[in-house]
Amino acid sequence: MIANEETMRHLMIKAQGGDKQCYSSLLIECEKWLRRYYARKINPSAIDDLVQETLISLHRKRASYDPTKAFLPWLAAIGRYRWIDSLRKIYRHDHDELYEEMVADPQEESVSAKVSLERLLGMIPEKQAEVISMVKIEGLSIAEASAQTGQSESLVKVNIHRGLKKMSALIESE
Amino acid sequence: MSNGANSLIDGLVDELEPVKTIKPARGLLVVGGLTLAVMAVVATTLGVRNDLAMGMADEMFFLRSGVLLMLGLATAFAAVNLARPGVGNLNRGWVWALATAALFPLTAAIMSAINMPPVEALRPMEGLKCLAISGLAAFSIGSGLTYWLKQGAPTSPERAGWLVGIASGALGAAAYNIYCPFNDIYYIGLWFTLPVLASAIFGRLVVPKLIRW
Repeated sequence: MIANEETMRHLMIKAQGGDKQCYSSLLIECEKWLRRYYARKINPSAIDDLVQETLISLHRKRASYDPTKAFLPWLAAIGRYRWIDSLRKIYRHDHDELYEEMVADPQEESVSAKVSLERLLGMIPEKQAEVISMVKIEGLSIAEASAQTGQSESLVKVNIHRGLKKMSALIESE
Repeated sequence: MSNGANSLIDGLVDELEPVKTIKPARGLLVVGGLTLAVMAVVATTLGVRNDLAMGMADEMFFLRSGVLLMLGLATAFAAVNLARPGVGNLNRGWVWALATAALFPLTAAIMSAINMPPVEALRPMEGLKCLAISGLAAFSIGSGLTYWLKQGAPTSPERAGWLVGIASGALGAAAYNIYCPFNDIYYIGLWFTLPVLASAIFGRLVVPKLIRW
């Protein structure tokens, strides 16, 4: 069972004051909460790393918690930021390398994050998802994607732009 | 819980030290202090408008100053609040301040459509000076605000970039405004809009990279 909002808020206020025992209890509760939070978002094999990264962020940014406000929305905002950041890193990853990793080992971390990308791609119109997959993940040029899909080059660009915008909005609203 | 998480938690607990919570009011103090400092530099190096020095400033000076300061304050307020995530306050008031500030370029555009202003009314040389000095002032204010914001945990870096850019652009232009002697709408609509616009774009492009954590 995970501690409630009021208990976690109280522990966080004590932790900001330097109480190590309260901080330890808080981090244990946050670890459980984050595990559940990420369970619906990413592949289970990637959860460990993301939870640990988020706990480190919580530690580094603990001064940004406002003790007069609820604790869980703050923790959720930190968690969502780390999650979006992990997806952004995948986006910026060299496309060829990502593709090779996907082929070589389907359990690789980047593939785990791609599961989230695939889920997001499934939530936007098919034509937009199709060209985003081709250009942003598989690394095709705009002209190649245009030839394969039958969409004009300018339409490919517009669909990529609109699709990415919708995906960003979906992440923000999660 | 995994062994990795256990040992991480132990390590973080060992490192724990008391912290002072981040207060947005301190961010506003940084912005206010820098704006006053830049105004002082403008006043001592360039001087102040003659009518202001004589205590009889034109009404357009007050309108321009008020709009720029209000826009700068509203956007700076929204920006510093981004340092504390998840507090449930959207701080959208700055949008209204921006819409109000847009009345200057909008009026200038409508007036230009009715009566094309002569090139002299736009004063390109003085305008470029206005743009350059306002830009430098904005850079100083924006740097301080970005540095302060970096200490927090902004979870919307792009929005923070726009806000820092608009705030520093408006306050930088407000600082130059105490020297600028021109009162006509064409000049204000063009040369006081450009620094805010340029600073907003610069902020959006540069600030997110600096404040990511």
